[in-house]
Amino acid sequence: MTLALDLQSLSVGDRPMLRGVTLRVAPGEILTVMGPSGCGKSSLLAVVAGTLAPPLRWTGTLTLDGTDLASLPTARRGVGLLLQDPLLFAHLSVAENLLFAVPPGPRAERHAAVDAALAEAGLAGCGERDPATLSGGQRARVALMRALLARPRALLLDEPFAALDAALRAQFRAFVFDHVRERGIPALLVTHDAADIADPVRVLRLPSAPDAPAHA
Amino acid sequence: MTHTGRGERALALGLLALVAGPLLASAALALGAALDATAWAAWPAQPGALRALGLTLFTGLASTALAWWACAALLAQAVVRRRLDRLLRALPPLLATPHAALAIGLVFLLAPSGWLLRTVSPWLTGFDAPPPWPTTQDPWGLGLIAALVAKEIPFLLWCAATQLQRDDASRRWQAEHTLACTLGYHPVRAFWRVVWPPLAQRLRWPLLAVLAYGLTVVDMALVIGPASPPTLAVLAWQWLQDADPAIQAQGAAAGLALALVVGACAALVLAPRRPRRAVDGRRGPATMGWRPGATLLLGAYAAVLAALAVGSVSGVWAFPALWPQTWTLDAWRAVGASGATVGTTLWLAAGSAALALAWSVAWLECAPPRWDAALRPLIYLPLLLPAVLWVVGLYALGLRLRLEGTAGGLLLAHTLMALPYVLLTLSPAYQGFDPRCAALCASLGHGRWTLLWRVKWPLLRRALASAAAVGFAVSVAQYLPTLYLGAGRWSSVTTEAVTLAAGGQRSLTSAYAALQFALPVLGFALAAALGRPRRFRPETP
Repeated sequence: MTLALDLQSLSVGDRPMLRGVTLRVAPGEILTVMGPSGCGKSSLLAVVAGTLAPPLRWTGTLTLDGTDLASLPTARRGVGLLLQDPLLFAHLSVAENLLFAVPPGPRAERHAAVDAALAEAGLAGCGERDPATLSGGQRARVALMRALLARPRALLLDEPFAALDAALRAQFRAFVFDHVRERGIPALLVTHDAADIADPVRVLRLPSAPDAPAHA
Repeated sequence: MTHTGRGERALALGLLALVAGPLLASAALALGAALDATAWAAWPAQPGALRALGLTLFTGLASTALAWWACAALLAQAVVRRRLDRLLRALPPLLATPHAALAIGLVFLLAPSGWLLRTVSPWLTGFDAPPPWPTTQDPWGLGLIAALVAKEIPFLLWCAATQLQRDDASRRWQAEHTLACTLGYHPVRAFWRVVWPPLAQRLRWPLLAVLAYGLTVVDMALVIGPASPPTLAVLAWQWLQDADPAIQAQGAAAGLALALVVGACAALVLAPRRPRRAVDGRRGPATMGWRPGATLLLGAYAAVLAALAVGSVSGVWAFPALWPQTWTLDAWRAVGASGATVGTTLWLAAGSAALALAWSVAWLECAPPRWDAALRPLIYLPLLLPAVLWVVGLYALGLRLRLEGTAGGLLLAHTLMALPYVLLTLSPAYQGFDPRCAALCASLGHGRWTLLWRVKWPLLRRALASAAAVGFAVSVAQYLPTLYLGAGRWSSVTTEAVTLAAGGQRSLTSAYAALQFALPVLGFALAAALGRPRRFRPETP
């Protein structure tokens, strides 16, 4: 499953933001997207997720394993999201947050998937807890597990390590990268920190000027 | 995920037609009735009419200014001392109190034969009989101002709280307040400098609603306002009751004059202004923080409620006795016997609150933001038009649609009145909902309905339940729309209470006023129970 984006232009109303960005991300590969603030890193992820809202507009092609994604709504793209804020739903317990992501199926199987995810996150037995009582690192791990339980075909990571302290950051980074590689899904990682780069040769540096092209 | 599709626009258009149709038709019919040149020439020439207009301006503007100041001062204390949640917990019963019930309770407290004077008579005053003091229905409208201030502070506080509790705004304001404190500003002054100016901007519509109500109130003014002359709204209402069509036209014209007064005030309130003194650099303690204010307000409501409760079970109660000489449940038996009145009040309130809530949710979900911003003045029309003028149009519309005196007509009138309040209280939380949750849900493969039913509405259930409770309370408090559209065939606890307040049946009036108070309080209690955050089972890893 290769994620391929040929972005001709990305603009805010009539003002161009990015032009001529192409990227290819192979299964299990993590492409790091870097660039100055406001250059369009998060908007690039929104293009892939299908959450770009007016006045932002883009032109180009987007495929996942040859399938056109651009014409699909977000819910049918199979693209997972992991944000800086874990956004665990406050009205659901930890387990229910995970269960929310599990596709429909036999009840026992869905619950087993949740239990396995909790164990993987190091939170076995914590399913009934209020998400607000978890630590920052625990919340981040639950958010990743939730994104993965939906069985995404690609994963978008929008500064998911930014809110964590240095020790937790390194730990969680390794946790995320391991899971992405294990599952063999392409991932895009937006970050400001060079320490987060997953693979030094797979970095897309977005320019501050919209006319400079970028490829990865 | 905030952009709206074609289907949503079509639904928003449908929703708009549902509300704009009756609103504009009523407004046009009311204007038609009020645009009578003879009536316009006649009403200012009536005895006391111009003094009534002056009284209206004085009571409306003074009560609004005082309520606004008190609300700001209470908020400053609550925010600085981090007691906003505590203040908010006390608000629902205050907010639920219908205007007429509060006015009746205040009359029983402040009247020359009221509880306040009884507590100090005869040992301090020497009075064995009520003195001839104009403590209620005073010619200057001071009693009306006091009642309006007491009633409007909780509403303004509630609206401010819904803004302060928005996820997006509250975090920013807290951070800005902390930042101002680190720059050396006293916490109260920091509140006035960085939190209050943007908050006040967002409270312009609620402020306008308070002002419009203060300038045009009828039920409260009938109970506690000046009598000769009364305020212009009461005078217009009296003219509208007349059998002579020429006098009725005078009433409609006076109603339109009131609308013009409200319009002029609205232009002043809604005009964009730059906060003054924001950058004068003064950092010391600010004086405008009102510590005993909350206690005073709660005390006044408690005293009113106690006066109504005791009054409703009082038998013989001669002045200056502090407590009734005999106690009786006759008044409550009479209330119990009029089950139809209570039933009408309940189904009307529940129905109109549910319809207003459903409409508001659908509108906030589907209407493009630009439409919403542009059309709010139309939706808020019932808040801004004087009730005396508004009911003329509604009644004319009811006659044309053959809805006069029917359940459907009453429900339409109550829903149109409840709708602006429901939308006003629901909007901040609904529009403040984190849009990333929608993107996240979609990325997990879920569609719009799953987002709404399993994430958005459960997370917003406190705001939804509160908005419904506000709609319920607004409907219970309706006087003129029930009177007009009911056409004498329907009565509610409010119409009964206001009618009884003009007579001398203290216990029956108190019982109806207490019931008028109790019904919305029950609504708010139910909303609080439904909106309570979920409690998770504590568990150790």
